[in-house]
Parts: sequence; C-alpha cells; structure tokens
Amino acid sequence: MRLGIGIFGMQSVPQRPDHHAKLYRDLLDDAELAESLGFDSIWLSEHHFWFDGYCPADLVAAGAILGRTSKLGVGTAVMLLPMHPAQKVGKEATTLSRLGEGRLSLGVALGYREPEFDGFGIRRKDRGKLMDALLPPLADACAAAEPAVPLYVGVATAVAAQRAGRLGLPLFADSTMNPAELREMLAAYDAARESAGMPAPATHALQRDVFVTDDPERDWAMLFPELRYMRRQYGSWSFPQSNGESVSAYRERLEADIEAKLKNLIFGRPEDVAARLREFEALGFELIVCRSQFGNLPRAGLHRAMEGLGSLAG
Amino acid sequence: MRLGLGPLDVDSVSPRDLHALAEAAVEASFDCVWVGGTGGTLVAAALVAQWVPVRVGAVVEVGTYHPLHLAEDIAVADLTCSGRLEVMLRPADVDADVLEEHLEVLGLALSGAHLQWNGKHLRVPARLADNGPVPERLALNPRPMQPAVPVWVLGRPAPRGLPELMFSPADVTSAELLTGAGNHAGYFVVDASTPDEVRAAGRRLAGPLRMPDFPAWVNE
Repeated sequence: MRLGIGIFGMQSVPQRPDHHAKLYRDLLDDAELAESLGFDSIWLSEHHFWFDGYCPADLVAAGAILGRTSKLGVGTAVMLLPMHPAQKVGKEATTLSRLGEGRLSLGVALGYREPEFDGFGIRRKDRGKLMDALLPPLADACAAAEPAVPLYVGVATAVAAQRAGRLGLPLFADSTMNPAELREMLAAYDAARESAGMPAPATHALQRDVFVTDDPERDWAMLFPELRYMRRQYGSWSFPQSNGESVSAYRERLEADIEAKLKNLIFGRPEDVAARLREFEALGFELIVCRSQFGNLPRAGLHRAMEGLGSLAG
Repeated sequence: MRLGLGPLDVDSVSPRDLHALAEAAVEASFDCVWVGGTGGTLVAAALVAQWVPVRVGAVVEVGTYHPLHLAEDIAVADLTCSGRLEVMLRPADVDADVLEEHLEVLGLALSGAHLQWNGKHLRVPARLADNGPVPERLALNPRPMQPAVPVWVLGRPAPRGLPELMFSPADVTSAELLTGAGNHAGYFVVDASTPDEVRAAGRRLAGPLRMPDFPAWVNE
C-alpha cells in the first residue's frame, strides 16, 4: 500500500486568513516534510473564483513542489478537467513529467460548482460530454509523455465509474463513499470495462479523510472547526440554498450533511488507522491519498498528524 | 539595464541541463532565467524558481486559452516564488480584436478588479442561460504577490515603467546591446545554450551593462 498526503487546497480561511504567499511557502515546506517522512506522494486540489482563494492552478503549484523535492510524487486530486483546454493540460503534464523525472500523476474529475463553469463560458450541463471528449486525448498525451503520466479518473458515483471503465482508466475514488458503496461502484466499473473489452488497470486510487492522533480529545477540538468549514463549503456548492428556503433551514441541511460525511472520517491512533486503511486496500485500492489538511489547520497540528501517518508510510 | 538568460526551451530541455543552465545564470549574475516553448512554460517557471534565488520569466501564448486560466496560472506561479515572476506574452494567430479582448481581460483580472466584461468575443462572467444564477462579477483569487507582475507583449513597446525587453544571441557584445538601447533602459535576454556560454556571457555583459563607467581592465 502506498500512502499519499493531502489534500492541499491552499485556502485562506476566515478563521485563519493567512496570506497566500505564506500558504504556498508552507506548502513547499510541507512537501519537504512529506518527502522526509516517506510518503509516496502529495496531492493538490482545485477550485475557481472562491473568496478564500482556493488553488485555481494545481499544476503550477505541482511544478513548484517538483522543483523543491527530489523523490516525492505530486498529483492532482482532482483537476476539474471540463474547465480546461485538454491540449494545455497535456502539454503541462508532459513538461512536468520530464522536468520532475516521472513524479507527476493526474487525477481528473467533472467539477460541479456552477460559477466556475460559467466563469470560463462553459455550460455546466455539458460537463459529461466535455469529459467524454477530453479524456481520450488526455489519456493519449499522458501515455506518450516521457516518462508516462499516471492518469486517474475521479469518481463519486457508479455512473461516473462506468465512464472510466469504458476507457479502462484507473479510478480515483472520492472520500465520501463507504466500503459498501465502493464495492458497488467497482462492480459498475468492471462491468463497463469488460463490455468495452478493456484490460483491468494495475491499481485504483482512493481518497480518504484520515487524521492520525495520539491525543484524540486535544486534536478533535483543533480539527472540528476546520472540518466543519470544509464540509459546509463543499455542501453549499453541491446543494445550494433553494428558493424560499430559510437560512436556518438551510443551515440545518448543511449540518446534517456534515454529520453524514463524518461517518467516513478515519480519526484515531496510528495502529487503528492502519487497520482501517488495510480494509480499503483489500477492496483494490493500492494507493490511498489521505486528507489530513482541512481548511487551514494550525501548522503544529498538521505536522503531528503527518508524522503519525508517516510512521505507517515510511 | 537588466540581463536575462533564455528563453530555455521547455519542450526539449532535460532536467539536468535546465538545472545546470539555471545555476550558471545565478553564478554569472543574471537577473532572470526565462523559459519558452509551445506550452507548459508557467509550470516550468514555477519549478525553476525553486532552484534559483533570482527572478524567473515565462514566454506564454495569449489569445487561444481563456484569459482567466492564464491569470490564474500567473497568480499561483507568482505566489509560489514569492513574487519573482515575469511574463512575456506571445500573441497567438488570432484576429486582432480577439487578442485585444484577451489582453484587456487578463490585465483586469491580474489587477484584482471585480470583473464584469461584455465584449464581442468574451463575456465574464458568461452568465449563460443554461447555467443557474451566478454572481454578476467575479474576481481572480488568489491574486499575484506582486502588485503588478511585469508583463510584456512580444512585438509591442514595453508597458510604462518597464524596460524594453530584447532577445539577443549568446555572442552579442555589450557595445551592441548599449547601442540598441540608446539612452533608454534595456532588458536583454541572452540565448546562451551551455553553462560555459552562460558564464562567459555574464562575465562579458553584466558589468558594462550595469555601469556606464565600467573599467575595461576588469575583464582583460
């Protein structure tokens, strides 16, 4: 099992509004720490036009990390492919793979937040069609790069898994699925892959919220406000307030979503976390990208969690 | 007067050669290491910036991709190197009015404006009928670290406040460059292709370009 660390969104959150120059300097320091702790890779994510400055250019940040480190893998978890020109992504990945000596991986997915599509003049409803059109040429560009760039397709549903299955591309499974849902999604993937006559990929990747602690009480008090911020943000993007819905009713809906998603968080001591991760490895996920950064955690807290998780990676 | 190295071609350069050239540029007191090529130059500049303490430049095509992508890439590249980025825009083969709109929107976005653009070719935000209600304006976030990232456009005079930038061959002499600049501030980007060439060009050019009374015996 390979362990990745993430997911770095580079957010200057209201509760800790660091300047982005500091956030990116911290990112490069965190990457060096991840490399020294023996992590397989570090992972970035992407959103556009959000008030906290969520990273809109994950490949640029990946370039900086590749320059700072020498062994660590760097990946996107995930790039919102329908918003990008495929040729641009292919070129950037090719260049970074050569200059980073084969350490770049790409995870790509649909995206969902309407103002992001609209900012680029794209209809959100076209995102599936765009994905179908963009994935094959990008897969070709990734395969032709020297060294080749591993390309994973981010999925949160069985329908999305079927799209990846038809192309025989490995999955990057979202953190919100439980083991039963993951099994169902993998079955849909395999059925689509087999009927398209594609061979099984060597591995799939899984994204998971994971926080290793030696003091659950102390760390929960630090972690929960950041987790809550992150979940409310993603919740508000996935299901916006509906017409006529009161703010209080909407907040209740967001809180219920936080409760539901918390069920998938792996929070505990190193040996307990290791046992949980092995369950997911057994499902077919050889690469597990652990999200220990939520919002913008205090540095010392994030580093403690990385060191704890790193003891399982190294 | 300023001295740059490049543009180094990211389409073909090996990481080992790129590293050696960038280090030689720093040793020879170049102000900036420039990268060029058919794409991926901003990601490469972000990478090279981690190898050198000096500035980095990227030659980037403008007019094909959405200018907001370009603005986002520039902002993050500038932040990852703590404000050391420079950009040379190379106009794509598009209609003149398309190019002008791309340049306008890019400039507005980089300035941090709360943007609303209704042009002939671009509308930002697009506010497409098929999309749900979206805000009337959008802003680039994060913004670059520098209040104004130096941005030149190939084939056009330098923007106000920036020196004229000229690409020159490796074997150029300081006298030729100074004649080219006249009495104006010049920024010369020298296309040296080996570390030895880089060091030689730096030794030959850096002193005379920086000081009008540079003593000739120093380089004898």
